[in-house]
Amino acid sequence: MKCKRLMALGMTAVMAMSIAGCGGSGDAGADTTGASAGSEASGDTGAESAGSGESASSGVPTLDAITVGEDYKDLTASIKVLTNRTDIVDTVYKGYAEQFMELYPNITVEYEGITDYEESVTLRLTAGDWGDIMFIPTSVAKNELSTYFMPLGSFDAMKDTYNFLEEKSFENVVYGIANGGTASGIAYNKKVWADAGITTVPKTPEEFLEDLKIIKDKTDAVPLYTNFAAGWTMGAWDAYTDCAATGDPDFKNNMVHMSNPFAKRDDLTGPYAVYYILYEAVARGLIEDDPASTDWESSKGAINRGEIATMVLGSWCVEQFKEAGDNPDDIGYMPFPISVDGKQYAGSGGNYSFGINVQASDENKIASLLYMKWLIEESSIYMDEGSIPARKDAEYPSVLEAFDGVELLSNNQAPAGEEDLFDDVNNESEVGINNNDYPDCEILEAALYGTRTLDEIMDEWNQKWTSAQESLGVEVNQ
Amino acid sequence: MVNNKKTFGEWFGSRKIQRRLVIFTFMFVPLLLLLMFTYIPFGKMVQFSFYNMKYIGKRNFVGLKNYVEVFNRPEIFKSLFVSVYYMGGAVLQLALALFFATLMVFKVKGESVFKATMFFPYLISGIAIGFIFKFFYARGYVLDSIVALFGVAPENIPYWLQDTSINNFSLAATSVWRYTGQNMILFLGAMMSVDADLYEAASLDGANKWHQFKYIILPSIKSIVVLNLILSISGSLSAFEPPYVITNGTMGTGTYFVIMNRLAHENQKVGLASAMAIVLLVIIILCTVAQKLFFAYVFDDGTDDESKAAVRRKKKQNRQNRGLK
Repeated sequence: MKCKRLMALGMTAVMAMSIAGCGGSGDAGADTTGASAGSEASGDTGAESAGSGESASSGVPTLDAITVGEDYKDLTASIKVLTNRTDIVDTVYKGYAEQFMELYPNITVEYEGITDYEESVTLRLTAGDWGDIMFIPTSVAKNELSTYFMPLGSFDAMKDTYNFLEEKSFENVVYGIANGGTASGIAYNKKVWADAGITTVPKTPEEFLEDLKIIKDKTDAVPLYTNFAAGWTMGAWDAYTDCAATGDPDFKNNMVHMSNPFAKRDDLTGPYAVYYILYEAVARGLIEDDPASTDWESSKGAINRGEIATMVLGSWCVEQFKEAGDNPDDIGYMPFPISVDGKQYAGSGGNYSFGINVQASDENKIASLLYMKWLIEESSIYMDEGSIPARKDAEYPSVLEAFDGVELLSNNQAPAGEEDLFDDVNNESEVGINNNDYPDCEILEAALYGTRTLDEIMDEWNQKWTSAQESLGVEVNQ
Repeated sequence: MVNNKKTFGEWFGSRKIQRRLVIFTFMFVPLLLLLMFTYIPFGKMVQFSFYNMKYIGKRNFVGLKNYVEVFNRPEIFKSLFVSVYYMGGAVLQLALALFFATLMVFKVKGESVFKATMFFPYLISGIAIGFIFKFFYARGYVLDSIVALFGVAPENIPYWLQDTSINNFSLAATSVWRYTGQNMILFLGAMMSVDADLYEAASLDGANKWHQFKYIILPSIKSIVVLNLILSISGSLSAFEPPYVITNGTMGTGTYFVIMNRLAHENQKVGLASAMAIVLLVIIILCTVAQKLFFAYVFDDGTDDESKAAVRRKKKQNRQNRGLK
């Protein structure tokens, strides 16, 4: 025990010296200690001082304080990174690791690709000894983040530098940093749309459905390919229900307190409008012939060749569609066709966030921080994956140029004390926005068989939402 | 004076202790594994079923609320009806297996090739079978092409997975395909133990193959038939892989297990899903007991010495004899 404390003290001293070294003068070290003492004395938010205090005592710096390529050049460590991208773990990701290891020869970075990522990782997480960096699974609620992941810094200090921090922050402490982000829109084959004679991108649900009809009449392509059999592709529709459908970054937070959030609105916006497009496209016969036997892998090539006109998926899919065939330039990405008061919005959210094992040794924590920061700031990962970079000042990839005049929004952080409320209501109601694909599948089934109208389904969802609010004792605004 | 007190070495070396030691050490590992991987997890599941909990996070004790919910949810019991398709499949599968096994018990050319071919599907993992049939049934793929060869117009070919009136048959067929060979091998094994002289004797008496099957083979292997039937029926109640892999439980193919999996993993209602598992266990136990009782009567034609009907008859006779005295 005593030994550990002594070691921590030693590490702190080393750290303070290294910071002083960076600053180039002895004053810098004195400044930081002064600042932290000051914040404690003035009784700043408890969480922040707890966060910074913790990181100081264990000798691990915060993400914003570390400089890649300069600090800890002589650190020796071996870290393991878990990822869901089994398709590129041995090629692209391994390449990143090798580039990093040239910069830091004493640090070994090893990747482990995991199929069935969410479930396996959730189970391994509780065991503790899983490695050093992982993509934080969605099953970890915000108030549980600190149990499994080390704090990366304070939210206030980092929010101007990085995108998407809200998603993995709790009480002003950041635990995860997104591996870039996506904008929500619709992938389409430009050539097919042009062949059908459509020159302007649709801005409302009805315009979109009419365009699909034109494509069906004038070309041989499938107007809208739902990829129903894959399941998660149906769940992807949920992503448009907040920002893109309402233009309100607080919609998700307010939804928890809203009575009947799925009700139809007169201007055809909101969640109802998103599912209206899905339902009507199916009911009007604008989707593939047999949704029960779709195949995701071959659909990528089909949209590349122009056999599919449109797919409703996040912008991450664009790179995959481009790579799937000989016509990468035909693939385009358009905003979701809902306009709120004449203006279009696109929700943009983080991909999986990197988190560092709170139980790892200090050396591994520092090495993980270095690799993580290098990955999100220096590597070519965002250009490769076509996603919005983690750093706010970094350049956007070319895919998103089509979003001219469309406002990118991302959901605001939930108010204090309500961080888990959306997840709780969402799970309890089983409407499963963004985590359960089955309700979306039911919309397609109802439209396909003509068993239920969209209004009936939305009424049912409203009822489920209401009873979940009741059973959790959530205050409902009329 | 002889010292009766044994030293530890003598005591340890004694036959009784050695025997116990051997029994204990041999049983320790399997019992430990059984305890660790079967009974403790099962106990945990029983415990979970009384809680409102997610995989991680805090757990609230809710008593029997989860069980009440299981019985109040229409979709859970609707999903049990989907199992009826698989039960129908199970009966068909047993009949087919019995048929093929009987054919093979009499001398057939290329017997081992047939056996291997029929048994092969059982060796493939369920998930792989799911993928095989996903493409087999897909629009315009294998099955459609075969049907088209027989001159069926493309627009008349049904949607094997989409059409709710046939998609459960399609899925149940995959499990028939998978297990028929395995059942056949089990039956064949039992049939091998029947003395071949009996067939000869029977045919001398003028019995044809059907008579031989009915009066010699079936009675000799009835216990394995009953066992297979019970296993197949409880297997049908817990059918999971075909609907999960092929249709993901959509379009009316969600079996009990698929619904349970969805609640536990997608909605994180672990307590409710555990309660569902316990309810299913009870249902399976009830089904098994019911079948046991049923077959005890069906196969009890009184010809066996140990059969209950014969015992009852004997008792009755004894009573009458005593009455006469």
